[in-house]
Amino acid sequence: MFTKVLVANRGEIAVRINRTLSAMGIAPVAVYSTPDAGAPHVATAEYAMALPGHSVEETYLDIPGIIRAAQDCDAEAIHPGYGFLSENPNFARACQDAGISFIGPSPESMEALGDKLRSKAIAQGAGVAVVPSSSVCTPGDEQSWEFLEKWGLPVMVKAAAGGGGRGMRLVHDRSDLESALESAGREAHAAFGDGRVFLEHYVANPRHVEIQVLADTAGHVIHLGERECSIQRRHQKIIEETPSPALTPDLRRRMGDAAVAVARAAGYFNAGTVEFLLDPLCADFYFLEMNARLQVEHPITEAVLGLDMVEWQVRIASGEPLSLQQVNIQPRGHAMEARIYSEDPYHDFAPSTGALLRWQPPGGPGLRLDSGVLQGQEVSIYYDPMLAKLIAWAPDRNSCLGRLEAALFQFQVLGVVTNIPLLRSTLAHPQFRSGVYDTGFLEWNPAVTVPAPPAEALNLASALAAWAANQPSGPGWSLAGGGGPEYVNPWQSVGPRRLP
Amino acid sequence: MNRSSRGLRLIYPVTAGPLTCRIAEDAGAFTFHLDGGEGGESSAPHPMALQISVSQAGEGLCRDDSGRTHPFAWAWVGPQLHLWLAGSLFIFLHESGRRPTNTPGSQAPGDILAPMPGAVLEVMVAEGDRVERNQTVMLMESMKMELAIASPRNAVVRRVAVTPGQQVERGMRLLELAPDDQEDS
Repeated sequence: MFTKVLVANRGEIAVRINRTLSAMGIAPVAVYSTPDAGAPHVATAEYAMALPGHSVEETYLDIPGIIRAAQDCDAEAIHPGYGFLSENPNFARACQDAGISFIGPSPESMEALGDKLRSKAIAQGAGVAVVPSSSVCTPGDEQSWEFLEKWGLPVMVKAAAGGGGRGMRLVHDRSDLESALESAGREAHAAFGDGRVFLEHYVANPRHVEIQVLADTAGHVIHLGERECSIQRRHQKIIEETPSPALTPDLRRRMGDAAVAVARAAGYFNAGTVEFLLDPLCADFYFLEMNARLQVEHPITEAVLGLDMVEWQVRIASGEPLSLQQVNIQPRGHAMEARIYSEDPYHDFAPSTGALLRWQPPGGPGLRLDSGVLQGQEVSIYYDPMLAKLIAWAPDRNSCLGRLEAALFQFQVLGVVTNIPLLRSTLAHPQFRSGVYDTGFLEWNPAVTVPAPPAEALNLASALAAWAANQPSGPGWSLAGGGGPEYVNPWQSVGPRRLP
Repeated sequence: MNRSSRGLRLIYPVTAGPLTCRIAEDAGAFTFHLDGGEGGESSAPHPMALQISVSQAGEGLCRDDSGRTHPFAWAWVGPQLHLWLAGSLFIFLHESGRRPTNTPGSQAPGDILAPMPGAVLEVMVAEGDRVERNQTVMLMESMKMELAIASPRNAVVRRVAVTPGQQVERGMRLLELAPDDQEDS
């Protein structure tokens, strides 16, 4: 087993990986950009190596810099987390060349799966149905029009190297096709360094269900059940749950078998996720893509199975056989995850930046918070706006919903605006509660996306605001004392003081 | 002891008119008389009697006369008062406070402001260009997402205030627009 592992990531996922490494008796090594010097992922590691710079290109995407950092501190392995270099076969290869174990699949299977078109061919070869798509398109070429003739509108433009909704456009009108190909290509190039895009037949409002797989280097492959990820806003998942309310035991078995078949066909080892589109009416499912990395929403699988997926990733990468058998995988209870973003639901989800003046997460039975931020920290424009993931577990779906709702109600955040109102209105919606929902849920329920302002609390809020403005930290006080309110440090407040 | 609070205005999640509140304090119990600021509600609410205790800086608990408790927390961000109450965030602007320095002091109705902090990727128009309503005039990037900035109406570009590659703050002026004289009314 390794003694020192470098985590080539930041934020909540780096913190989460550090925790498992520490628990396994392995020293975690952090890398950090200049603005991240005091970040939680550095504080939770045992060693920290600086990657000087602000942009992601000069820091978390700098392959030679990260390899050098690993060599300088004698790390035997690198965990890439998700995003950044996690699905970059060149990075996996650079690790290999430097004699460092890469905690993930081989560069070859990563390369095959990272290309959405090749991965579809692999799935088809394994006997799994796929969504129809074109080959690589350039703006104005013949085959994009041919594909349109054959499959009609709307059509999806996707990045061959894509993920996380980037480089993706839904085209409703022929006249928008070229500009969509162009802008998706540009966004894909900026996000992945690969601007190739293709067209995919648009399946209207399917469910998005994915299967987690684990495989060792000796070819033993199992699946860890499904995650329902249909609650999405602009192709970005925001709430996930397991088990999926849409799956019958038979469908679960068929999808699990299909996922294992795809992983086998790709020669896959370590943790991976096979994503499917599910037509809930006829119980047909289509392979969408396989993600060759740890998934953001992996904690809900951990919650119902009582295992640590990162621990298995590390053990597999160190050459241990996967001792779990498919029959041992028996999920217990229900788990849900809500992703907390610093985005403003009342202003078209514009990213919100600023100092986190207050960050008071809730606690209680069955709750887990995977967070990459601390109170007082600056939320900057440099990184993804996801602040944390709140995960609830309970013996059944209703209790799980109750735990997550109550926890979100108690989550105190000041300084930046978050999407918590959207998360709460989704959980409260009868359609979500019934379990009968699809990827169109937020699109068809604008009242959920922009929830009604909490009218009942408004008068009380106004009274308390008036009260707070009269407190010694408020402007009524500080203006009298000189400077304007913008010079007031909110932490130089009254101090402990009790009003009877 | 009687006090009154003026100059506060709710700006989030919805905007409301100026809020005036008389606060009477009697042996630690507060009575609030609110006037205005309820955004559309016509009748002034009844006086509210509240007990308020502060457990630590920026964190308090209030109890209404039915005995119901409401934990709350607050912090100042420049002239903005962020208040967390009952699962929701409210932001009030203290109007006598100075405006933050990074927002433009005056916003002409024809200006296009940055809707979020980020970088300017591409400017598709030049000074003197005629633009149509909903025409994409600029591309921005924020948090790795591309955002198209569209013209709010038919107009002529008077001035381009930013250049590609420039970092902008939310509310910064991107483009100044002049009315399109040839526009049919």
